[in-house]
Amino acid sequence: MDPPPPARRDPAMDLLAAAAATALMDELVEEVLIRVPPDDPATLVRAALVCKRWCRLIAGASFRELHPRPPMLGFLYQRRDGTDFVPTSSFRPPHAVCDGWRVLDARHGRVLLLNAAELYNTMEMALIVWDPVTDNQQSLPIPQLPPFAWNAALLCTTAGCDHLDCRGGPFLVIGVTTTGGTDNLGEGRACAHIYSSEQGAWSERNTVVQHHNGCDGIVRRVHGALVGNAIYSNYEMSTKILEYDLGRQELSTINLPSAFHGWQILLMEADDGVLGFATVQDSKLCLWAREAGVHRNVGWAQRRVIKLDKLLPVPDYNRSASLDAYTIASAPFVVAVADGIDVIFLWTDDGLFSIYLKSSRVEKIGEFISDLGVVPYMSFCTPALGRLDR
Amino acid sequence: MASAGSGDEKAAAAAMITLISSDNEKFEVTEATATLSQTIRHMIEDGCTDGGVPLPNVTSKILARVIEYCKKHATAAAGEEGSSSSFSDAAFLEVDRAFLEELEEFDDAFLEVDRATLFDLILAANYLDIKGLLNLTCQKVADSVKGKTPEQIREMYNIVNDLTPEEEAEIRRETQWAFE
Repeated sequence: MDPPPPARRDPAMDLLAAAAATALMDELVEEVLIRVPPDDPATLVRAALVCKRWCRLIAGASFRELHPRPPMLGFLYQRRDGTDFVPTSSFRPPHAVCDGWRVLDARHGRVLLLNAAELYNTMEMALIVWDPVTDNQQSLPIPQLPPFAWNAALLCTTAGCDHLDCRGGPFLVIGVTTTGGTDNLGEGRACAHIYSSEQGAWSERNTVVQHHNGCDGIVRRVHGALVGNAIYSNYEMSTKILEYDLGRQELSTINLPSAFHGWQILLMEADDGVLGFATVQDSKLCLWAREAGVHRNVGWAQRRVIKLDKLLPVPDYNRSASLDAYTIASAPFVVAVADGIDVIFLWTDDGLFSIYLKSSRVEKIGEFISDLGVVPYMSFCTPALGRLDR
Repeated sequence: MASAGSGDEKAAAAAMITLISSDNEKFEVTEATATLSQTIRHMIEDGCTDGGVPLPNVTSKILARVIEYCKKHATAAAGEEGSSSSFSDAAFLEVDRAFLEELEEFDDAFLEVDRATLFDLILAANYLDIKGLLNLTCQKVADSVKGKTPEQIREMYNIVNDLTPEEEAEIRRETQWAFE
Protein backbone atom coordinates (compact mmCIF):
# COMPACT_ATOMS: atom_id res chain seq x y z
CA MET A 1 0.00 0.00 0.00
CA ASP A 2 1.10 3.53 -0.63
CA PRO A 3 1.66 5.74 2.39
CA PRO A 4 -1.29 8.04 3.12
CA PRO A 5 -1.07 11.45 1.44
CA PRO A 6 1.09 13.84 3.47
CA ALA A 7 -0.69 16.50 5.47
CA ARG A 8 1.73 19.19 4.27
CA ARG A 9 1.85 19.68 0.52
CA ASP A 10 4.93 18.27 -1.09
CA PRO A 11 5.96 20.40 -4.12
CA ALA A 12 7.32 17.34 -5.96
CA MET A 13 4.05 15.49 -5.42
CA ASP A 14 2.12 18.55 -6.62
CA LEU A 15 4.16 18.56 -9.83
CA LEU A 16 3.52 14.84 -10.33
CA ALA A 17 -0.18 15.28 -9.66
CA ALA A 18 -0.31 18.26 -12.03
CA ALA A 19 1.37 16.30 -14.81
CA ALA A 20 -0.89 13.30 -14.28
CA ALA A 21 -3.92 15.59 -14.10
CA THR A 22 -3.02 17.24 -17.40
CA ALA A 23 -2.63 13.86 -19.08
CA LEU A 24 -5.86 12.62 -17.52
CA MET A 25 -7.89 15.66 -18.39
CA ASP A 26 -6.66 15.64 -21.97
CA GLU A 27 -7.73 12.06 -22.56
CA LEU A 28 -10.32 11.05 -20.05
CA VAL A 29 -12.17 14.07 -18.72
CA GLU A 30 -15.31 12.79 -20.44
CA GLU A 31 -15.10 9.49 -18.53
CA VAL A 32 -15.05 11.50 -15.31
CA LEU A 33 -17.78 14.02 -16.13
CA ILE A 34 -20.32 11.46 -17.34
CA ARG A 35 -20.18 9.98 -13.85
CA VAL A 36 -21.49 13.14 -12.17
CA PRO A 37 -25.15 12.23 -11.60
CA PRO A 38 -27.59 14.30 -13.72
CA ASP A 39 -29.80 14.85 -10.69
CA ASP A 40 -27.00 16.93 -9.16
CA PRO A 41 -27.32 19.89 -11.54
CA ALA A 42 -25.53 22.30 -9.17
CA THR A 43 -22.34 20.27 -9.44
CA LEU A 44 -22.77 20.02 -13.22
CA VAL A 45 -23.23 23.77 -13.59
CA ARG A 46 -20.16 24.53 -11.48
CA ALA A 47 -18.15 21.95 -13.44
CA ALA A 48 -19.32 23.51 -16.69
CA LEU A 49 -17.79 26.84 -15.58
CA VAL A 50 -14.33 25.27 -15.26
CA CYS A 51 -13.46 25.75 -18.94
CA LYS A 52 -14.95 25.62 -22.44
CA ARG A 53 -14.18 21.96 -22.93
CA TRP A 54 -15.93 20.88 -19.73
CA CYS A 55 -18.87 23.09 -20.62
CA ARG A 56 -19.18 21.54 -24.08
CA LEU A 57 -18.89 18.01 -22.67
CA ILE A 58 -21.61 18.57 -20.08
CA ALA A 59 -23.96 20.20 -22.59
CA GLY A 60 -22.89 17.79 -25.31
CA ALA A 61 -24.45 14.85 -27.08
CA SER A 62 -22.57 12.03 -25.39
CA PHE A 63 -23.50 13.24 -21.91
CA ARG A 64 -27.12 13.47 -22.95
CA GLU A 65 -27.00 10.07 -24.67
CA LEU A 66 -26.01 8.53 -21.36
CA HIS A 67 -28.97 10.19 -19.72
CA PRO A 68 -31.71 9.76 -22.31
CA ARG A 69 -34.36 10.88 -19.82
CA PRO A 70 -34.05 14.19 -17.99
CA PRO A 71 -33.63 13.89 -14.21
CA MET A 72 -36.35 14.72 -11.69
CA LEU A 73 -35.48 18.15 -10.33
CA GLY A 74 -38.41 18.31 -7.94
CA PHE A 75 -42.18 18.25 -7.90
CA LEU A 76 -45.04 20.71 -7.93
CA TYR A 77 -46.95 20.43 -4.69
CA GLN A 78 -50.54 21.62 -4.67
CA ARG A 79 -51.43 23.12 -1.32
CA ARG A 80 -54.78 24.62 -0.36
CA ASP A 81 -54.10 28.14 -1.71
CA GLY A 82 -51.24 27.78 -4.13
CA THR A 83 -48.53 25.60 -5.61
CA ASP A 84 -44.92 25.18 -4.46
CA PHE A 85 -41.91 23.84 -6.29
CA VAL A 86 -40.32 21.33 -3.91
CA PRO A 87 -36.78 20.38 -5.01
CA THR A 88 -35.66 16.75 -4.91
CA SER A 89 -32.27 17.62 -6.46
CA SER A 90 -29.69 20.38 -6.02
CA PHE A 91 -31.70 22.59 -8.45
CA ARG A 92 -33.43 25.65 -6.98
CA PRO A 93 -35.94 27.63 -9.11
CA PRO A 94 -35.80 31.45 -9.09
CA HIS A 95 -39.35 31.39 -7.70
CA ALA A 96 -40.63 28.36 -5.85
CA VAL A 97 -43.97 29.70 -4.63
CA CYS A 98 -47.02 30.30 -6.84
CA ASP A 99 -49.72 31.65 -4.54
CA GLY A 100 -53.21 31.45 -5.98
CA TRP A 101 -52.30 28.93 -8.69
CA ARG A 102 -53.14 25.25 -9.00
CA VAL A 103 -50.98 22.82 -10.94
CA LEU A 104 -52.61 20.87 -13.77
CA ASP A 105 -49.65 19.30 -15.52
CA ALA A 106 -45.88 19.45 -16.03
CA ARG A 107 -44.05 18.02 -19.02
CA HIS A 108 -41.10 18.81 -21.29
CA GLY A 109 -39.69 21.44 -18.93
CA ARG A 110 -42.91 23.41 -18.52
CA VAL A 111 -45.71 23.58 -15.98
CA LEU A 112 -49.40 24.28 -16.68
CA LEU A 113 -51.03 26.34 -13.92
CA LEU A 114 -54.67 27.29 -13.41
CA ASN A 115 -55.75 30.13 -11.14
CA ALA A 116 -57.64 29.06 -8.06
CA ALA A 117 -60.58 31.40 -8.83
CA GLU A 118 -61.70 28.92 -11.50
CA LEU A 119 -63.12 26.82 -8.72
CA TYR A 120 -65.76 29.47 -8.02
CA ASN A 121 -66.21 31.28 -11.29
CA THR A 122 -65.09 30.07 -14.71
CA MET A 123 -65.37 33.64 -16.02
CA GLU A 124 -62.30 34.47 -13.97
CA MET A 125 -60.32 31.50 -15.19
CA ALA A 126 -56.68 32.04 -16.16
CA LEU A 127 -54.13 29.57 -17.45
CA ILE A 128 -50.36 30.06 -17.63
CA VAL A 129 -47.44 27.98 -18.82
CA TRP A 130 -44.46 28.46 -16.51
CA ASP A 131 -40.85 27.34 -16.86
CA PRO A 132 -39.39 26.96 -13.34
CA VAL A 133 -35.81 26.95 -14.72
CA THR A 134 -35.90 30.23 -16.67
CA ASP A 135 -38.92 31.63 -14.78
CA ASN A 136 -40.57 32.52 -18.10
CA GLN A 137 -44.36 32.73 -18.03
CA GLN A 138 -46.87 32.74 -20.83
CA SER A 139 -50.57 33.47 -20.38
CA LEU A 140 -53.01 31.49 -22.49
CA PRO A 141 -56.33 32.76 -23.78
CA ILE A 142 -59.28 31.51 -21.75
CA PRO A 143 -60.96 28.44 -23.21
CA GLN A 144 -64.71 27.88 -22.95
CA LEU A 145 -64.73 24.95 -20.57
CA PRO A 146 -67.30 23.75 -18.05
CA PRO A 147 -66.22 24.18 -14.40
CA PHE A 148 -64.51 21.18 -12.77
CA ALA A 149 -65.33 18.70 -15.51
CA TRP A 150 -62.13 19.10 -17.51
CA ASN A 151 -58.49 18.22 -17.33
CA ALA A 152 -55.56 19.44 -19.39
CA ALA A 153 -52.17 18.17 -20.45
CA LEU A 154 -49.19 20.06 -21.83
CA LEU A 155 -46.60 18.82 -24.30
CA CYS A 156 -43.86 20.01 -26.64
CA THR A 157 -44.67 19.77 -30.34
CA THR A 158 -41.29 20.47 -31.92
CA ALA A 159 -40.92 17.94 -34.75
CA GLY A 160 -38.39 15.20 -33.96
CA CYS A 161 -37.67 16.64 -30.49
CA ASP A 162 -35.88 14.44 -27.95
CA HIS A 163 -37.50 16.52 -25.16
CA LEU A 164 -34.23 16.98 -23.33
CA ASP A 165 -33.98 20.74 -23.67
CA CYS A 166 -37.08 21.88 -25.56
CA ARG A 167 -38.32 24.47 -23.11
CA GLY A 168 -38.54 27.39 -25.56
CA GLY A 169 -40.24 25.54 -28.43
CA PRO A 170 -43.86 25.33 -29.52
CA PHE A 171 -46.32 23.44 -27.33
CA LEU A 172 -49.86 22.13 -27.22
CA VAL A 173 -52.34 22.09 -24.36
CA ILE A 174 -54.90 19.30 -24.69
CA GLY A 175 -58.05 19.99 -22.69
CA VAL A 176 -60.57 17.19 -22.29
CA THR A 177 -64.03 18.16 -21.11
CA THR A 178 -66.79 15.89 -19.99
CA THR A 179 -70.39 16.99 -20.12
CA GLY A 180 -73.66 15.20 -19.63
CA GLY A 181 -74.59 16.65 -16.31
CA THR A 182 -75.21 15.04 -13.02
CA ASP A 183 -78.87 14.36 -13.52
CA ASN A 184 -78.30 10.75 -14.49
CA LEU A 185 -80.37 11.34 -17.61
CA GLY A 186 -79.11 10.92 -21.13
CA GLU A 187 -75.67 10.06 -22.38
CA GLY A 188 -72.53 11.90 -21.33
CA ARG A 189 -70.02 13.27 -23.82
CA ALA A 190 -66.30 13.89 -23.77
CA CYS A 191 -64.79 16.47 -26.06
CA ALA A 192 -61.25 17.66 -26.88
CA HIS A 193 -60.08 21.30 -26.89
CA ILE A 194 -56.61 22.04 -28.22
CA TYR A 195 -54.44 25.11 -27.65
CA SER A 196 -51.53 25.52 -30.05
CA SER A 197 -48.82 28.02 -29.04
CA GLU A 198 -47.99 28.52 -32.72
CA GLN A 199 -51.54 29.58 -33.55
CA GLY A 200 -52.05 31.30 -30.19
CA ALA A 201 -55.64 30.07 -30.03
CA TRP A 202 -57.90 27.28 -28.82
CA SER A 203 -59.82 25.08 -31.19
CA GLU A 204 -62.45 22.47 -30.48
CA ARG A 205 -61.81 19.14 -32.17
CA ASN A 206 -64.84 17.56 -33.65
CA THR A 207 -64.24 14.38 -31.71
CA VAL A 208 -66.68 13.20 -29.15
CA VAL A 209 -67.10 9.96 -27.28
CA GLN A 210 -70.20 8.85 -25.46
CA HIS A 211 -69.77 7.56 -21.96
CA HIS A 212 -71.80 6.66 -18.93
CA ASN A 213 -74.30 9.17 -17.76
CA GLY A 214 -74.30 11.00 -14.47
CA CYS A 215 -71.40 11.61 -12.10
CA ASP A 216 -69.57 8.58 -13.45
CA GLY A 217 -68.59 10.59 -16.47
CA ILE A 218 -66.58 13.44 -14.92
CA VAL A 219 -62.95 13.51 -16.00
CA ARG A 220 -60.59 13.30 -13.04
CA ARG A 221 -58.32 16.29 -12.58
CA VAL A 222 -55.03 14.51 -11.99
CA HIS A 223 -51.79 14.41 -13.93
CA GLY A 224 -52.47 12.29 -17.02
CA ALA A 225 -50.02 10.21 -19.02
CA LEU A 226 -48.34 10.75 -22.39
CA VAL A 227 -47.63 7.35 -23.90
CA GLY A 228 -46.49 7.02 -27.49
CA ASN A 229 -48.53 9.52 -29.47
CA ALA A 230 -51.52 9.73 -27.14
CA ILE A 231 -52.57 11.56 -23.99
CA TYR A 232 -54.55 9.59 -21.42
CA SER A 233 -56.90 10.83 -18.69
CA ASN A 234 -59.28 8.92 -16.54
CA TYR A 235 -62.75 9.50 -15.19
CA GLU A 236 -63.42 9.95 -11.53
CA MET A 237 -65.81 7.05 -11.05
CA SER A 238 -65.92 5.19 -14.32
CA THR A 239 -64.10 2.04 -15.40
CA LYS A 240 -63.01 3.72 -18.64
CA ILE A 241 -59.93 5.72 -19.66
CA LEU A 242 -60.03 8.55 -22.18
CA GLU A 243 -57.42 8.44 -24.96
CA TYR A 244 -56.65 11.42 -27.19
CA ASP A 245 -54.63 10.32 -30.20
CA LEU A 246 -52.41 13.24 -31.25
CA GLY A 247 -51.93 11.90 -34.77
CA ARG A 248 -55.54 11.11 -35.62
CA GLN A 249 -56.76 13.94 -33.34
CA GLU A 250 -59.46 11.68 -32.02
CA LEU A 251 -60.85 10.74 -28.63
CA SER A 252 -61.66 7.18 -27.73
CA THR A 253 -62.15 5.16 -24.57
CA ILE A 254 -60.37 2.13 -23.17
CA ASN A 255 -61.71 -0.16 -20.44
CA LEU A 256 -59.76 -0.62 -17.23
CA PRO A 257 -59.43 -4.18 -15.92
CA SER A 258 -62.67 -5.10 -14.19
CA ALA A 259 -62.90 -4.10 -10.52
CA PHE A 260 -60.86 -0.90 -11.02
CA HIS A 261 -62.35 2.57 -11.00
CA GLY A 262 -60.75 5.81 -12.06
CA TRP A 263 -60.35 7.22 -8.56
CA GLN A 264 -58.25 4.22 -7.49
CA ILE A 265 -55.59 4.42 -10.16
CA LEU A 266 -52.94 6.71 -11.60
CA LEU A 267 -52.07 6.38 -15.28
CA MET A 268 -48.40 6.06 -16.22
CA GLU A 269 -46.02 4.95 -18.93
CA ALA A 270 -44.96 1.37 -18.18
CA ASP A 271 -41.26 0.53 -18.51
CA ASP A 272 -41.55 -0.74 -22.08
CA GLY A 273 -43.38 2.34 -23.32
CA VAL A 274 -46.96 1.08 -23.12
CA LEU A 275 -49.86 2.51 -21.12
CA GLY A 276 -49.89 1.39 -17.51
CA PHE A 277 -51.31 2.38 -14.17
CA ALA A 278 -50.32 2.22 -10.52
CA THR A 279 -52.66 1.48 -7.65
CA VAL A 280 -52.53 0.36 -4.03
CA GLN A 281 -54.52 -2.71 -2.99
CA ASP A 282 -54.30 -4.38 0.42
CA SER A 283 -51.06 -2.58 1.35
CA LYS A 284 -49.46 -3.59 -1.93
CA LEU A 285 -48.38 -1.27 -4.71
CA CYS A 286 -49.57 -2.91 -7.96
CA LEU A 287 -48.33 -1.92 -11.40
CA TRP A 288 -50.43 -2.86 -14.42
CA ALA A 289 -49.73 -2.50 -18.13
CA ARG A 290 -51.58 -2.98 -21.40
CA GLU A 291 -50.48 -6.11 -23.19
CA ALA A 292 -51.44 -7.70 -26.45
CA GLY A 293 -53.36 -10.91 -25.81
CA VAL A 294 -54.70 -13.67 -28.02
CA HIS A 295 -56.69 -12.87 -31.19
CA ARG A 296 -55.10 -9.40 -31.30
CA ASN A 297 -57.05 -8.32 -28.23
CA VAL A 298 -55.31 -5.81 -26.04
CA GLY A 299 -55.78 -6.55 -22.37
CA TRP A 300 -54.24 -5.67 -19.06
CA ALA A 301 -51.66 -7.60 -17.06
CA GLN A 302 -50.40 -7.03 -13.55
CA ARG A 303 -46.66 -6.60 -14.01
CA ARG A 304 -45.34 -6.05 -10.52
CA VAL A 305 -46.47 -6.14 -6.91
CA ILE A 306 -44.49 -4.41 -4.17
CA LYS A 307 -45.40 -5.13 -0.57
CA LEU A 308 -45.62 -1.79 1.19
CA ASP A 309 -45.73 -3.08 4.76
CA LYS A 310 -41.99 -3.80 4.57
CA LEU A 311 -41.20 -0.37 3.11
CA LEU A 312 -43.65 2.07 4.67
CA PRO A 313 -45.43 2.58 7.96
CA VAL A 314 -48.70 0.97 6.80
CA PRO A 315 -51.66 1.09 9.22
CA ASP A 316 -52.91 -2.09 10.81
CA TYR A 317 -56.51 -2.28 9.57
CA ASN A 318 -57.53 -5.11 11.87
CA ARG A 319 -56.61 -3.07 14.89
CA SER A 320 -57.90 0.28 13.71
CA ALA A 321 -61.24 -1.18 12.56
CA SER A 322 -62.09 -2.01 16.13
CA LEU A 323 -61.55 1.59 17.28
CA ASP A 324 -63.81 4.55 16.74
CA ALA A 325 -64.03 6.30 13.40
CA TYR A 326 -61.59 9.06 14.28
CA THR A 327 -58.68 6.73 14.72
CA ILE A 328 -59.19 4.68 11.57
CA ALA A 329 -56.11 5.15 9.45
CA SER A 330 -56.48 5.58 5.71
CA ALA A 331 -54.69 3.29 3.28
CA PRO A 332 -51.71 4.67 1.34
CA PHE A 333 -52.52 5.77 -2.20
CA VAL A 334 -50.63 6.72 -5.33
CA VAL A 335 -50.52 10.50 -5.88
CA ALA A 336 -48.03 10.78 -8.73
CA VAL A 337 -45.78 8.82 -11.07
CA ALA A 338 -42.56 10.26 -12.50
CA ASP A 339 -42.62 8.64 -15.94
CA GLY A 340 -39.38 7.38 -17.35
CA ILE A 341 -37.44 7.43 -14.10
CA ASP A 342 -39.62 4.92 -12.25
CA VAL A 343 -40.44 6.93 -9.16
CA ILE A 344 -43.87 6.64 -7.58
CA PHE A 345 -45.19 9.09 -4.99
CA LEU A 346 -47.37 7.59 -2.28
CA TRP A 347 -49.49 9.33 0.26
CA THR A 348 -49.79 7.82 3.72
CA ASP A 349 -51.04 9.08 7.05
CA ASP A 350 -47.37 9.65 7.90
CA GLY A 351 -46.70 11.94 4.96
CA LEU A 352 -45.52 11.80 1.38
CA PHE A 353 -43.11 9.05 0.30
CA SER A 354 -41.28 8.35 -2.95
CA ILE A 355 -40.54 4.79 -4.06
CA TYR A 356 -37.74 4.20 -6.56
CA LEU A 357 -38.93 1.12 -8.45
CA LYS A 358 -35.54 0.08 -9.83
CA SER A 359 -33.85 -0.04 -6.44
CA SER A 360 -36.95 -0.47 -4.20
CA ARG A 361 -35.54 2.50 -2.26
CA VAL A 362 -38.07 4.48 -0.23
CA GLU A 363 -37.65 8.09 0.88
CA LYS A 364 -39.90 10.11 3.09
CA ILE A 365 -40.30 13.48 1.41
CA GLY A 366 -42.08 15.27 4.20
CA GLU A 367 -45.15 15.87 6.30
CA PHE A 368 -47.26 17.56 3.67
CA ILE A 369 -50.65 18.33 5.08
CA SER A 370 -52.67 18.43 1.90
CA ASP A 371 -53.23 15.67 -0.61
CA LEU A 372 -54.52 17.93 -3.36
CA GLY A 373 -51.84 17.12 -5.88
CA VAL A 374 -48.25 16.28 -6.67
CA VAL A 375 -46.80 16.61 -10.18
CA PRO A 376 -43.17 15.55 -10.72
CA TYR A 377 -40.93 17.92 -12.69
CA MET A 378 -38.31 16.29 -14.91
CA SER A 379 -35.94 18.47 -16.90
CA PHE A 380 -32.36 19.36 -17.60
CA CYS A 381 -31.68 22.82 -16.26
CA THR A 382 -28.55 24.09 -17.98
CA PRO A 383 -29.92 25.97 -20.99
CA ALA A 384 -27.08 28.52 -21.13
CA LEU A 385 -24.46 25.82 -21.58
CA GLY A 386 -25.79 24.68 -24.94
CA ARG A 387 -25.57 28.21 -26.34
CA LEU A 388 -21.83 28.44 -25.90
CA ASP A 389 -21.03 27.17 -29.37
CA ARG A 390 -23.62 29.20 -31.18
CA MET B 1 6.68 -19.01 -21.33
CA ALA B 2 8.87 -16.69 -19.32
CA SER B 3 8.88 -17.30 -15.62
CA ALA B 4 9.75 -15.03 -12.73
CA GLY B 5 10.06 -18.16 -10.63
CA SER B 6 8.39 -16.82 -7.53
CA GLY B 7 4.71 -17.69 -8.16
CA ASP B 8 3.03 -19.82 -5.52
CA GLU B 9 2.36 -23.48 -6.28
CA LYS B 10 -1.38 -23.21 -6.67
CA ALA B 11 -1.06 -20.42 -9.21
CA ALA B 12 1.62 -22.30 -11.09
CA ALA B 13 -0.95 -24.93 -12.02
CA ALA B 14 -2.96 -22.32 -13.92
CA ALA B 15 -1.79 -20.67 -17.14
CA MET B 16 0.53 -17.80 -16.25
CA ILE B 17 1.20 -14.55 -18.09
CA THR B 18 4.17 -12.25 -17.59
CA LEU B 19 3.50 -8.50 -17.66
CA ILE B 20 6.43 -6.12 -18.14
CA SER B 21 6.14 -2.55 -16.84
CA SER B 22 7.64 0.55 -18.50
CA ASP B 23 10.60 0.36 -16.09
CA ASN B 24 11.16 -3.25 -17.14
CA GLU B 25 9.91 -4.98 -14.01
CA LYS B 26 8.28 -8.39 -14.60
CA PHE B 27 5.03 -9.48 -12.93
CA GLU B 28 3.76 -13.02 -13.26
CA VAL B 29 -0.02 -13.34 -12.97
CA THR B 30 -2.65 -15.99 -13.73
CA GLU B 31 -4.52 -15.75 -16.99
CA ALA B 32 -7.77 -15.23 -15.03
CA THR B 33 -6.24 -12.15 -13.38
CA ALA B 34 -4.69 -10.79 -16.58
CA THR B 35 -7.83 -11.19 -18.69
CA LEU B 36 -9.77 -8.68 -16.62
CA SER B 37 -7.90 -6.40 -19.00
CA GLN B 38 -9.60 -6.57 -22.40
CA THR B 39 -6.35 -5.36 -23.98
CA ILE B 40 -4.42 -8.34 -22.58
CA ARG B 41 -7.32 -10.74 -23.29
CA HIS B 42 -7.11 -9.82 -26.99
CA MET B 43 -3.32 -10.33 -26.96
CA ILE B 44 -3.77 -13.78 -25.42
CA GLU B 45 -6.43 -14.65 -28.00
CA ASP B 46 -4.07 -13.54 -30.76
CA GLY B 47 -1.33 -15.74 -29.21
CA CYS B 48 1.17 -12.92 -28.81
CA THR B 49 1.99 -13.16 -25.12
CA ASP B 50 5.01 -15.47 -25.34
CA GLY B 51 8.03 -13.77 -23.84
CA GLY B 52 5.83 -11.52 -21.75
CA VAL B 53 3.49 -8.60 -22.43
CA PRO B 54 5.29 -5.24 -22.52
CA LEU B 55 3.21 -2.40 -21.11
CA PRO B 56 5.24 0.72 -22.00
CA ASN B 57 2.54 3.08 -20.64
CA VAL B 58 2.40 1.63 -17.12
CA THR B 59 5.06 2.01 -14.42
CA SER B 60 5.86 -0.86 -12.01
CA LYS B 61 4.33 1.10 -9.12
CA ILE B 62 0.98 1.48 -10.92
CA LEU B 63 1.07 -2.00 -12.47
CA ALA B 64 1.50 -3.55 -9.00
CA ARG B 65 -1.67 -1.73 -7.86
CA VAL B 66 -3.58 -2.70 -11.01
CA ILE B 67 -2.63 -6.36 -10.50
CA GLU B 68 -3.72 -6.14 -6.87
CA TYR B 69 -7.14 -4.95 -8.08
CA CYS B 70 -7.40 -7.59 -10.81
CA LYS B 71 -6.46 -10.46 -8.48
CA LYS B 72 -9.20 -9.52 -6.03
CA HIS B 73 -11.83 -9.00 -8.72
CA ALA B 74 -10.86 -12.10 -10.71
CA THR B 75 -11.55 -14.14 -7.57
CA ALA B 76 -14.90 -12.36 -7.28
CA ALA B 77 -15.79 -13.12 -10.91
CA ALA B 78 -14.90 -16.80 -10.42
CA GLY B 79 -17.06 -16.88 -7.27
CA GLU B 80 -20.04 -15.37 -9.13
CA GLU B 81 -19.82 -17.95 -11.90
CA GLY B 82 -19.81 -20.76 -9.38
CA SER B 83 -22.78 -19.47 -7.41
CA SER B 84 -25.00 -18.65 -10.37
CA SER B 85 -24.74 -22.13 -11.92
CA SER B 86 -26.28 -24.36 -9.29
CA PHE B 87 -26.40 -22.80 -5.83
CA SER B 88 -29.07 -20.31 -5.07
CA ASP B 89 -30.21 -21.11 -1.57
CA ALA B 90 -30.09 -18.68 1.28
CA ALA B 91 -26.80 -19.90 2.72
CA PHE B 92 -24.98 -19.26 -0.50
CA LEU B 93 -26.66 -15.89 -0.97
CA GLU B 94 -25.43 -15.02 2.51
CA VAL B 95 -21.90 -15.97 1.49
CA ASP B 96 -22.29 -13.90 -1.69
CA ARG B 97 -23.41 -10.87 0.28
CA ALA B 98 -20.50 -11.16 2.70
CA PHE B 99 -18.13 -11.46 -0.24
CA LEU B 100 -19.63 -8.42 -1.99
CA GLU B 101 -19.26 -6.41 1.21
CA GLU B 102 -15.64 -7.49 1.46
CA LEU B 103 -15.12 -6.47 -2.17
CA GLU B 104 -16.63 -3.06 -1.47
CA GLU B 105 -14.31 -2.60 1.50
CA PHE B 106 -11.38 -3.60 -0.68
CA ASP B 107 -12.40 -1.03 -3.33
CA ASP B 108 -12.74 1.72 -0.71
CA ALA B 109 -9.29 0.94 0.71
CA PHE B 110 -7.87 0.66 -2.82
CA LEU B 111 -8.93 4.25 -3.55
CA GLU B 112 -7.06 5.62 -0.52
CA VAL B 113 -4.22 6.96 -2.67
CA ASP B 114 -2.78 10.37 -3.49
CA ARG B 115 -4.16 12.24 -6.50
CA ALA B 116 -1.19 11.52 -8.80
CA THR B 117 -1.59 7.78 -8.20
CA LEU B 118 -5.34 7.97 -8.75
CA PHE B 119 -4.87 9.73 -12.09
CA ASP B 120 -2.21 7.22 -13.15
CA LEU B 121 -4.58 4.39 -12.22
CA ILE B 122 -7.27 5.91 -14.44
CA LEU B 123 -4.87 6.21 -17.35
CA ALA B 124 -3.72 2.61 -16.84
CA ALA B 125 -7.30 1.31 -16.51
CA ASN B 126 -8.15 3.04 -19.77
CA TYR B 127 -5.06 1.77 -21.59
CA LEU B 128 -5.53 -1.79 -20.30
CA ASP B 129 -9.32 -1.55 -20.83
CA ILE B 130 -10.35 -2.72 -17.35
CA LYS B 131 -13.96 -1.58 -17.13
CA GLY B 132 -14.45 -2.07 -13.39
CA LEU B 133 -11.26 -0.23 -12.44
CA LEU B 134 -11.98 2.63 -14.86
CA ASN B 135 -15.46 3.00 -13.40
CA LEU B 136 -14.21 2.87 -9.81
CA THR B 137 -11.44 5.43 -10.26
CA CYS B 138 -13.37 7.84 -12.52
CA GLN B 139 -16.30 7.78 -10.09
CA LYS B 140 -13.87 8.78 -7.31
CA VAL B 141 -12.76 11.83 -9.34
CA ALA B 142 -16.37 12.66 -10.27
CA ASP B 143 -17.33 12.52 -6.56
CA SER B 144 -14.43 14.83 -5.71
CA VAL B 145 -15.97 17.58 -7.89
CA LYS B 146 -19.17 17.62 -5.81
CA GLY B 147 -19.52 20.75 -3.70
CA LYS B 148 -16.46 22.46 -5.22
CA THR B 149 -16.40 25.88 -6.87
CA PRO B 150 -15.14 26.15 -10.48
CA GLU B 151 -11.96 27.81 -9.12
CA GLN B 152 -11.30 24.92 -6.74
CA ILE B 153 -11.84 22.36 -9.51
CA ARG B 154 -9.43 24.22 -11.82
CA GLU B 155 -6.78 24.22 -9.13
CA MET B 156 -7.30 20.54 -8.31
CA TYR B 157 -6.99 19.44 -11.92
CA ASN B 158 -4.54 22.01 -13.26
CA ILE B 159 -7.01 23.49 -15.76
CA VAL B 160 -6.79 26.91 -17.40
CA ASN B 161 -10.07 28.82 -17.64
CA ASP B 162 -10.64 29.76 -21.28
CA LEU B 163 -14.23 30.96 -20.94
CA THR B 164 -14.63 34.65 -21.76
CA PRO B 165 -15.98 36.84 -18.92
CA GLU B 166 -19.13 37.32 -21.03
CA GLU B 167 -19.69 33.57 -21.42
CA GLU B 168 -19.10 33.00 -17.75
CA ALA B 169 -21.45 35.83 -16.80
CA GLU B 170 -24.22 34.46 -19.03
CA ILE B 171 -24.05 31.00 -17.52
CA ARG B 172 -23.88 32.39 -13.99
CA ARG B 173 -26.83 34.70 -14.60
CA GLU B 174 -29.04 31.78 -15.62
CA THR B 175 -27.83 29.38 -12.95
CA GLN B 176 -27.46 31.54 -9.85
CA TRP B 177 -29.09 28.81 -7.78
CA ALA B 178 -26.04 26.60 -8.32
CA PHE B 179 -23.79 29.09 -6.53
CA GLU B 180 -25.90 29.85 -3.47
